[in-house]
Amino acid sequence: MKPVLVIGGGVAGIQAALDLADRGLKVHLVEKSPSIGGVMAQLDKTLPTMDCSICILAPKMIECSRHPNITIHTQSQVKEVAGGAGNFDVKVLKEPRSVNESKCTGCGVCSQKCPTKVRNDWQEGLADRKAIYIMFPQAVPLTATIDRDHCLYFQKGVCQVCSKVCPSGAIDYEQKPEEIDLNVSSIVVATGFQEYDPSELKEYGYGRFKDVLTAMEFERLVCASGPTGGHLNRPSDGKLAQRVAFIQCVGSRSHKKGYPFCSSVCCMYATKEAVLIKEHDPASEVNIFYMDLKVFGKGFQQFVDRAKSHYGVVYIRGRPGEVRMNPVTRDLTIWYEDTNTGDVTSKEADMVVLCTTMIARPENKELAEALGLELDEWGFFKPLNPLTNPIETGLPGVFICGCSHGPRDIPESVAEASGAAACAAEVARRFM
Amino acid sequence: MKYTLYLGCTVQSEQFGLEASVRETMPRLGVELEDMKGASCCGFPALSSVSKVGWHYLSARNLAIAEEMGNDFLPLCNGCHLSFVETMHYLEADPDLKNLINTHLEKEGLQYEGKVKVVHLLEVLHDRVGEKKISGELVKPLEGLKFASHPGCHAIRPSDIQKVDDPEDPRKLDNLIKALGAETFDYPEKIDCCGSQLAVASGRTTLKIAGDKLQAVKSYGFDGLVTTCPFCFKMYDGRQRAIKGALKDSSLDVPVFYYTQLLGLALGFRPERLGLQLNQSPVDGLVERIME
Repeated sequence: MKPVLVIGGGVAGIQAALDLADRGLKVHLVEKSPSIGGVMAQLDKTLPTMDCSICILAPKMIECSRHPNITIHTQSQVKEVAGGAGNFDVKVLKEPRSVNESKCTGCGVCSQKCPTKVRNDWQEGLADRKAIYIMFPQAVPLTATIDRDHCLYFQKGVCQVCSKVCPSGAIDYEQKPEEIDLNVSSIVVATGFQEYDPSELKEYGYGRFKDVLTAMEFERLVCASGPTGGHLNRPSDGKLAQRVAFIQCVGSRSHKKGYPFCSSVCCMYATKEAVLIKEHDPASEVNIFYMDLKVFGKGFQQFVDRAKSHYGVVYIRGRPGEVRMNPVTRDLTIWYEDTNTGDVTSKEADMVVLCTTMIARPENKELAEALGLELDEWGFFKPLNPLTNPIETGLPGVFICGCSHGPRDIPESVAEASGAAACAAEVARRFM
Repeated sequence: MKYTLYLGCTVQSEQFGLEASVRETMPRLGVELEDMKGASCCGFPALSSVSKVGWHYLSARNLAIAEEMGNDFLPLCNGCHLSFVETMHYLEADPDLKNLINTHLEKEGLQYEGKVKVVHLLEVLHDRVGEKKISGELVKPLEGLKFASHPGCHAIRPSDIQKVDDPEDPRKLDNLIKALGAETFDYPEKIDCCGSQLAVASGRTTLKIAGDKLQAVKSYGFDGLVTTCPFCFKMYDGRQRAIKGALKDSSLDVPVFYYTQLLGLALGFRPERLGLQLNQSPVDGLVERIME
């Protein structure tokens, strides 16, 4: 049987790849970044069970790399697709790592010695990384990569420290971009999402006030593998944040700026993050500003009830109008109307977390053109029929799952991924 | 750069310092001002509660004259600026109303088409003259001084119509303060109302609103407050003594400037040419420090 192509190495892509491989099908898993894992690898805990996110994901990532039926292509993107169901010719462009994957042992000495500091996107900019780096400690493949845009050797022709210190001689400055031709029977699209950038909502001060964070930034801050080791030292002055406010629906359910759709997840992740703060320090004050609580998943309502009654998280019904910062103390004030009482009032906080929505990845456009798929008005992939064929597309043999076609949580993404894998396997068998 | 200058009633009846400092400083920056012929009241949006047509008529009358004069139209007051921008917005959206207004204007031989460009002093200084040009002309940079910026709400609201600066994070006045060599920084009360719109309804509330802001400005260590709105200026400068009384805070002393007064000092003009002797807030000490 011909192999199946899975585009995107987040939790949905990983699940689809494993399902297909366990059925005996060969799988090509194409991932844009240097490691599979996606956003789930960045999260601190999952909800509503408060399990460690990477502890659930890492075994699946490793299984992907050890599975004899799965070939992982990192730093790779699908450029061209021709043919149809049962016989797709796919061109994949693999960016050079500048590190030999079979020689690198992931020891990390190169990053230790590299002199160039670069913003660490995986830590959401709350820390620095080096120009040669391993994306995160559990990265798969556990291989260093050189960021050529910042590397002194590639920019100025000097340095080469990494190649001098590498004990296995894995550094390879001469690597070229590689074109990989694949012939596959079917394709699973699992490109995921990106976080909405709340800078345009000037009233919340994101970008102006250092202690106004996005939810993803908070996930890294509260995580034991984050920049502060999980301590809630706020970015502006390192003060321990004991009063934290969450603002829901940031960039979602809005007709003026942002997007009209519901983020589908921010009620629940705000609750989870609030509980995390309370677990760190039960004396801390946590307020969640919400419009409606949409907690319809399994065990979700009970989770919110427990957050209120057991942990003492306070839910305030009102969409804040403004966040202000005192220039002397750096403390933040949230102005809002409590719509249960009609009072216009304010609350102080050491840190504000903006519960941002998920939006479509910008690369979806190019990929949709290559595949010949349709995108909706927000840039998400369009299902054939949202009611009856939610994971099929207009193109037979191409299936979508996870956040590539709209915001959804981890369980739904994983369930869809298994569904898409089953559909893709069916096509592979039909054209055997 | 040539503009039709519209002073507005507050400037002509009590805020002479703004007019004096604008007339002194603008030509130095290459801005030519042409006085408006036959200007009348801007219409004052509050008039709309009595007669919407009356408001639009008065406003459109000035716009029609400005159209005839051909230059971009520069009102010096935030309130007048908003009145003109709102009238243009409503007449554009309602052709019948525009026709009605034009039948009234015809009696004077005027015609409103909606072609004139209304600009704000902040736009002229920030977007057209530019911070670079201003910095290049400085004679006495205001180094070591910290000024709080108060753009005034009518320059930025309603946010759908008034587009002088970002309604939630106005920056232009801050940038212009920095262009003079002075410092400024964000403070929480920056876009709070000066309270003047409530003056008729409740004098005490007005003084409390203005006073809270002045006390806050002082607490952050600013040396003074800068605005481009004559109405806000009137509150913070002209009524500062009344505010002190109302708040029972005898230590409250915040020097308040029009931006063009501060600009004039930095450009080397004498204080009296900028109408600074007419300011009622305690500006003398600061002016002396700058003039040294």
